[in-house]
Parts: sequence; structure tokens; C-alpha cells
Amino acid sequence: MTRLQRIRAFVTGAITLYLAILMMLAPEEGYPVVLMFISLGLMFYGIKSLIYYFTMARFMVDGRMILYRAIVMLDFGYLTATLSDIPRVYVLIYLIVIHAFSALVEILRAGEDKRYGARSWKLKLFHGIVNLIIALVCIVFIGKHNTAVYMYSLGLMYSAIVRIVSAFRKTTFIYIQ
Amino acid sequence: MQEDFHYYATYCAAFLAGFSHEECMDICYSAQLVDLCSRSFLTRLHAPGYAATTQLQLELMDARTDIIGLQDITRIWASFHFLPKDLYARKKWRTKRYMNKYRLICGPNSELVVKTVELAKGKSLQHAGIAMHVLADTWAHMYFAGTPSLVINNTDGYFYEVDGDKEKKIVFKHNPTQPDDLEAGAYTNSLYQSNENSVMNLGHGRAGHLPDYSFMKYKYLPAWNDYEEVVKDNPSDYTRAFCQMIYAMKYLKGDIDSFETDRYDTDAIAPFAERINAILRKRQPDASADWKAFGEELSGENIDKFDLDRYQDEYLQTDKGAKESTFLGRFIEGAIAQKGMVTNQIYRSGNILAGFSKEIRREGGIL
Repeated sequence: MTRLQRIRAFVTGAITLYLAILMMLAPEEGYPVVLMFISLGLMFYGIKSLIYYFTMARFMVDGRMILYRAIVMLDFGYLTATLSDIPRVYVLIYLIVIHAFSALVEILRAGEDKRYGARSWKLKLFHGIVNLIIALVCIVFIGKHNTAVYMYSLGLMYSAIVRIVSAFRKTTFIYIQ
Repeated sequence: MQEDFHYYATYCAAFLAGFSHEECMDICYSAQLVDLCSRSFLTRLHAPGYAATTQLQLELMDARTDIIGLQDITRIWASFHFLPKDLYARKKWRTKRYMNKYRLICGPNSELVVKTVELAKGKSLQHAGIAMHVLADTWAHMYFAGTPSLVINNTDGYFYEVDGDKEKKIVFKHNPTQPDDLEAGAYTNSLYQSNENSVMNLGHGRAGHLPDYSFMKYKYLPAWNDYEEVVKDNPSDYTRAFCQMIYAMKYLKGDIDSFETDRYDTDAIAPFAERINAILRKRQPDASADWKAFGEELSGENIDKFDLDRYQDEYLQTDKGAKESTFLGRFIEGAIAQKGMVTNQIYRSGNILAGFSKEIRREGGIL
């Protein structure tokens, strides 16, 4: 990791953490921000895919698929940004799928680690259970007004902390001649 | 390649190079261990995780594909399973980002394979086994890169098995629990993932196990080759891998002064050429039984089944300061040296996909 990449990871993590806390404190105002994040995310993804196509994928067999996908995602991003009110249940369904899948992977991984006798299996199982609980909370409180904002913010906080921690991770491999 | 070649065929090659039965067992055990020495395995031994030579399927699913995660994946797979052919390769009108991936495409007879074999010279038998695994895989895994990359490792539906003048369409399914159907030409491969850095786009996942079957000759369109097909002739490639292993091991044993690329000890296999050819061309998913029988005929000794637990107690019960003298300790030392060398070479070529590397010279008195 270069110094610039470390600074970028740290700053992005800190800003994300700050925004997530703000959204939890003011969930009513937070919902449009969640929507904005999703539409910006889709647009960013579309633009990123376009750049990817022109710098890498156009040299690849069947690379044109990347171009089509980029245009479609960009369109979805614009569309989401123009809608004034999206039912909160759609955001919750998105969160349920993401957390349930993460829970499944973590629990399977914990089982594998345990079979190998590795001590890390408890931590993985814990992660899996936390993800499962978040998915279940989303299902149980699907009718509650601010669940989507709280759960989305929690997810953002987790990824922000991981990003900040990764900025300090050791990446140099020592080669002894 | 699989256990049949990395374990049993490596035993045969080591024996033909002049090693004793016991030495051959250590070499082939180490060569096969490269496919099983994951971080989970090392954690169980309380050994350093950075010595990992492979990643289990679930480890890969769990792996982050941010820059640090990608560097970790690349260090493992490029160092042990997809040794880059040319770190300074050129291609017109390509971006630096593209070239960083392109230059990691695996292939035989590279400068790195020379460095790999030379690094093992004068070291342990475990290190020799690691080098033989890496060398053999340069033949099986050529045209794929040991880093997640859609633009390099992707393939499309254009896959044909070639048998003389006949061609048979190969069909892929994505269910990993379903075995390959060799007769129907139905094989399992990884799912198409449009994300450049998805672990599904690591190595030869998109071509399934075709590179691992010694009998298989096929043609396909690699993503990176400007719509030009390549023909992968495994029986021929595996024969050269086998002969090159013998040549390399004679060098490691001290019978030859230098290791050069594109040299094969065909004389050593001449008396057994038909037998070896028959094993390599037999349509079967696993040739272990045939290689084992051949190896046992060569040495007149029994070749024990590979057992991952064999040396674990020795390592666990040895004092911390003396672990380096155990079987697994020597393997770990060899693995770290190989990974360090390849990472260093990739970094020195101006490519940070395998991470940063710092050189420390023992002679300099730093250590």
C-alpha cells in the first residue's frame, strides 16, 4: 500500500464513519441520504465500469458486455436520483440479502476453520451470528419507519472501521537474500 | 496439476534424477504439500501465516479484494502456482493497469523459473519439492495469471477438445459438487463474474480442471489474446514438465553445474517413454494409481499415501527455537524464501500487484 493509498483509506473511512453517526442521530433526515448514497453508488459504479471498459475490458474477448453494463448502471443511478420517494421496504430487502449472505459465508468459514483446528473460528462464527442477527432484525422490524436507516448506518460504520484499520496494516514482504 | 503429478509423478522424476527412495518421498511430499499449506493449516500449527502456499475455497470466498487482499492472493498464487512468464512483456496500446495484470500470465521456461530452481540449490529437500511444484505448474497453468483478473483469465463458450482431426465441443456447468463427465465432455468451471478482481477470476477457474488433466488437448480463446485461439496440448506439456523436473533435480543434486531454460532430460525417460506416454494420455480424472505403480516399479519400494497429518506432531512438539530443523519447519522456510523471491521480482519490475518488498542481505550483517 502506498502512503497515498493509506491516507485515502483513512480519510474515506473517517468521513464514512462521521456520516453514519449523523444518520443514526437524525434518522428522518437520514433516509434521503441513504437514497442519495444508493443513487450515487450506482452512478459511480457506472462511471467506474466505463473507465474499466476503456482502459482494460475493450481488449478482452466479449469485453463489450462491460460497456453495456456500465451504461445500464449509469441509467439506473440517474433514475434512482430522480425518484423522490422509494418505499423503504426495498432498501430493507437489499440489506437482508447482503447480511444473510455474509452470515452464511462466515458460518461456513468458521466450520472449516474449526475442522482445521484454527483458533480464528470463534471470531468468524461471531461475525456470522452478528450478520444473521442484523438480517433478522431487518425482517422483524421491516414495518418500522427508521429500520432501514439504522441498519444501513451500522453497515457503513462497520465498513468504515475496517477501512481505517486496513490503512495501518503491514504490507511489505521482507525478502532475505 | 493434482496429486497424481505433484506427488506420484514427482516421486518418479526424483527417482530418475538419482535420489534415494527416502529423499524422493520428502521431495514429493513437499511438492504436494504446496497445494494444502493454507493459512488455516498454518494457524493450526501456530506457524507464520505468511508462509501460506495456497488458499482454500472458503478462504478465497472470505478474502477481501481490496488492494491488500489482492496483493496477498497474488503473492500466494503467482509465487507457487502461476509463476509469471515475463515480468517485462510489452503490448501496444495497453494501459499500465492492464499490463500489470498481463505481465503475470504464467508460462514455462521463464527467468523466474530459473531463479526458483537456483533458489532451491543447496537447500533442503523440502525446498526442492516446492521448486518442483512451481516448475510443473508453469506447464499446466500456462496462459492464466495468479491474480484475480477478468481481462486476463476470462474465457467464453469457445472450447473444443481436439483429438487428431476431430473436435468435440466442451460444455461447462457451475456446480462444484458435480464431478466432471469426461465422456460427455461436460466439465465444471467457475461462474462468470464481471468484477475484474473477483476471486472467481483467479487462475484457471474459468477453464475448470482442463489444465489439470494430463490427457486433455483442447483449444479456446483466452481473454487476453486478441481473439486468437490457443491450443493447449497437455500430454505434450506434461511430458516436458516431467523431463524438465528430472533435469532440474539433477542440477539440485549436484550432477549438473547450471540450470538453463528449455532443456529436458529426455534420455532419462527413454526406456519408459511408452509407459509414461500411456499414463499421460489415459482418459481419467486422476492418474495417481498409474503413477504410483510406475514409481513402485522403479524403486521397488512402497510409496505411502499422502497424509497431511504426518509431520504435524513433530512440528508441534518441537521447541520454538528448533522448529526450523523439523520437516515442516524446513518446508515453511522454503515457502517463505520462494514467496519472498517472486514478490521481490514482481515489485522490482514496477508492478505492485504482489505488494511491496524490502530486500535484506544476510552478508550485509543486518541479520
